[in-house]
Amino acid sequence: MQNLMGDQLNEPQQRLVACYEDLKQVVERHGPDLAPYEQRNALKALAALWQIVNGLDLDPDHLYDLGA
Amino acid sequence: MAESRYWNPRRETLPRDQLEALQLRKLRSVLAWAQAKVPYQARRLQQAGVTPESIRTLDDLRRIPLFTRDEWMEGLESDPPFGPLSAVPPDLAIRYHTTSGTTGRQPIRALDGMKDWEWIAEMWCYGFWAAGIRPSDRVFIAFSYGGFIGFWGAHYAAEKIGCMCLPSGGMTTERRVQYLVEMGATVVCTTPTYGLRMAQEAQKLGINLAESPVRLLLLSGEPGGSLPATQRLMSEQWGAEVCDTAGMTEVGTIVMFECDGHPGGMHTIDDHYIEEVVDPKTGEPVGYGEIGERVVTSFGRGFIPVIRYRTGDLVRRVPASTCTCGRTFDIYEGGIIGRVDDMKVVRGTNVYPSSVEAIVREFREVDEFQIYLYTDGIRDEIEVRIELPDPAADEVAITSALSRALQNAHGGLNFRVRRVESGSLPRFELKARRLVDERRVVGSADERKAL
Repeated sequence: MQNLMGDQLNEPQQRLVACYEDLKQVVERHGPDLAPYEQRNALKALAALWQIVNGLDLDPDHLYDLGA
Repeated sequence: MAESRYWNPRRETLPRDQLEALQLRKLRSVLAWAQAKVPYQARRLQQAGVTPESIRTLDDLRRIPLFTRDEWMEGLESDPPFGPLSAVPPDLAIRYHTTSGTTGRQPIRALDGMKDWEWIAEMWCYGFWAAGIRPSDRVFIAFSYGGFIGFWGAHYAAEKIGCMCLPSGGMTTERRVQYLVEMGATVVCTTPTYGLRMAQEAQKLGINLAESPVRLLLLSGEPGGSLPATQRLMSEQWGAEVCDTAGMTEVGTIVMFECDGHPGGMHTIDDHYIEEVVDPKTGEPVGYGEIGERVVTSFGRGFIPVIRYRTGDLVRRVPASTCTCGRTFDIYEGGIIGRVDDMKVVRGTNVYPSSVEAIVREFREVDEFQIYLYTDGIRDEIEVRIELPDPAADEVAITSALSRALQNAHGGLNFRVRRVESGSLPRFELKARRLVDERRVVGSADERKAL
């Protein structure tokens, strides 16, 4: 996997990106079905993971619509 | 893997051409976001004939008009309480903050979402890490934790890094000093003014801060934090290293930091902002080494996109290579040198409070000071009032030496220096207001200049 600068991401970086994508998908698809503690903690984690994906130059979308 | 000296090693050492490519990509992205989500900004862009796609180089940024604090305030007044700049409905905000009111009648109000707050802390982490703050540190934050955004982001950065955070809201200065010593704080976050104030308090309490575990003062909030004389004085009083940072509520966090290489200024966080330095009168860019006004475009806070905002901060930008730390982020030599609106003209001579402070701080005997401007007859006068707490201080020698030093640094302008009673001048916790201007307006500006 490459970032938008054309740099190759290493394995741990790719796994972090995958965590972000997975978590985002869970919130997008199942947000209303999650218990409050599941949903709000997932959003908090997503907001933190966003910083990594942003720092890796993958230019993630904003998360406001999801609540983060 | 050895511990990195950089918070984000790749970004902080990116070659300048790649850094600029990143800035261009982020700029287009923030413009697209503002265009799509903020009708107010979309109108401004349309009037300027700018679309995200039409931005092909960083120079194209200059096609967008500068945005001023007055415009921001007008927006808040015409569309209260939050104004027309939000890209997101206020209900999605998790926090509301204001400026401390350095300039203007009322503070700027800002909203942020969850991701924005993580980003706000992230920017402080750049500064914390560069100053050498690590998880083992105990970080004391001398801050009231109120509506002013101040050190809120520093608090979250300390938590994010894994430090033990020691908040100090609701404490007196005396209690704060005792508390930070009792708790073994190793890092103290403070404004320069309040750092000096705590050192005075410690002296009164018979506490020798130089013998405490405090090893680093992390400054923010005032232009004076990068002044060598202020840093030297603080370093002596606390027995600690000093690193400066600077930011603003308008972007929510810090924009620059001093690294442990101490380059005599602060690195701008060039992967999250575009910093321009312009002539305050013409708005045209000035080159490396020239003093100008900071203009900031932020990529971080999505809630309120900030595009080409005139900060009023005066800076002198120099290339990153003037620091040995290896970062490729440019440097503001001397930090924030002053404020465009701080400058006073006294009998035709420009006087910046920060320049006066730099000289006053060379005189260790001076505890507190105030710059007082007044009119004597039809002539502007400038007086520096000083407190000398030591009863044995040689008042005549100090006042005349200080007066001479100030005069020499201001093209021969005569400064009256007067000793006032110890403890009579105001003390400040956050941004100091050491200039009092009580001049009467007499005649035209030219007539005054001629006096």
